[in-house]
Amino acid sequence: MSKMRTEDLIERLAADARPVHCLKSPFRRTAVWLAWSLPWVAAIVFTMGLRPDLAARLSDARWMIEEIAALATGLMAAMAAFCAGVPGRPRWEHFVPLVPLAIWLGALGQGCIQDWMHLGRAGLVLYADWQCLPGIVMIGFGPAVAMAVMILRGSPITPMTTTALGALAAGGLATAALRLFHQEDGSLMVLVWQSGTVFGLTLIAGLLGKTILRWRLPSMP
Amino acid sequence: MRLRFSGFGFARARVEEILGADSSDARLGALMKAAQTGDRAAYAELLRLATPLIARIVGPKCNRGLEVDDVVQDVLMALHSVRHTYDCNRPFTPWLASIARHRLVDAYRKRSRVSQNEAAVPELPETFSAAETNWEMSVQGDPELLRRAIADLPAGQRQAVELLKLRELSLKEASKASGMSVAALKVAVHRGLKALRQRLVRKEHKATGRENE
Repeated sequence: MSKMRTEDLIERLAADARPVHCLKSPFRRTAVWLAWSLPWVAAIVFTMGLRPDLAARLSDARWMIEEIAALATGLMAAMAAFCAGVPGRPRWEHFVPLVPLAIWLGALGQGCIQDWMHLGRAGLVLYADWQCLPGIVMIGFGPAVAMAVMILRGSPITPMTTTALGALAAGGLATAALRLFHQEDGSLMVLVWQSGTVFGLTLIAGLLGKTILRWRLPSMP
Repeated sequence: MRLRFSGFGFARARVEEILGADSSDARLGALMKAAQTGDRAAYAELLRLATPLIARIVGPKCNRGLEVDDVVQDVLMALHSVRHTYDCNRPFTPWLASIARHRLVDAYRKRSRVSQNEAAVPELPETFSAAETNWEMSVQGDPELLRRAIADLPAGQRQAVELLKLRELSLKEASKASGMSVAALKVAVHRGLKALRQRLVRKEHKATGRENE
């Protein structure tokens, strides 16, 4: 850094003090993100067509718990990502999405045990399902772009956590939407292919955090 | 590396202690709120009040080549770039302390990346350590050795070295004095210096070998 007197720096910064648009609360930003994301998600779901057994699924308690937990994971992760971009907020907010995530994974785990008890080894068959990965990526693209635009307005104090939570938000929303048209309800299949895809994307986004979110300091000659 | 600051504790207990009783966290928050609307005077006052706070936060953690002033200025610039993230319904000092803490950690990371490519030496060496880069310094000190090495050169090379290097004549003057062409002088002096270098290095190696024995 060039050796400038702190008083001179203060004068320069003050001279550059244009009015700024303050960030809304994380709750309101989550609502805005959802409002931007839902048209994209709805367009894909209706383009692909709702699954024919959706009515039956809606009365299945386990299916509903998994859906609500995935959706809640997405929403909580979005709120946590917006909190992570604001300096001085408590750190526990970063971990809130772990609650619905644990319920989601717990429901899937319990489903695996039930399938195994009812059907034996046949209930835990794992085969390649190449619809999940592109499906989640396609549905999650819109929410991910909206999330990227929004978290770039925050501060990069915890870049890896912020981008990972942002990807988890897009992935959670995409998984919940995927199951509205994709007829794959085997718990192990959902756990491996759908949750696995979401975790993989979350991991990649977290690793890219420092590349995506950087401090944009004012240039001082 | 992990640095810990108790953001809220720092805010509540020390802001008034550092800045005086009339500069509470609420006042800093109000100044920032005004700054967000473009009030330059309020912003300048806020930055002036924030400077000792930042120094107090980062100062005790600044060591290993980090200057407190540099970190403070870096934090001020970071604060400027994210001033829109301050929520006036929340306390100001934890917001500031969080930025200061993260910029300090970044400064340490940057510093350690730079220091990985540096070696601390008590005195900067004047030459490289390889023997061939030091031959002039170590052997030139003995004029008798140099005189004898020049005397051993073939006549043409000796004359070229004497005229161009010892008497420091120009090529034209040396050509006139010796009757040799400029091109021949250049070749002769080049060969003469090369031969001198080889002889002196060889002699020095012999001398070093004897010393080691």
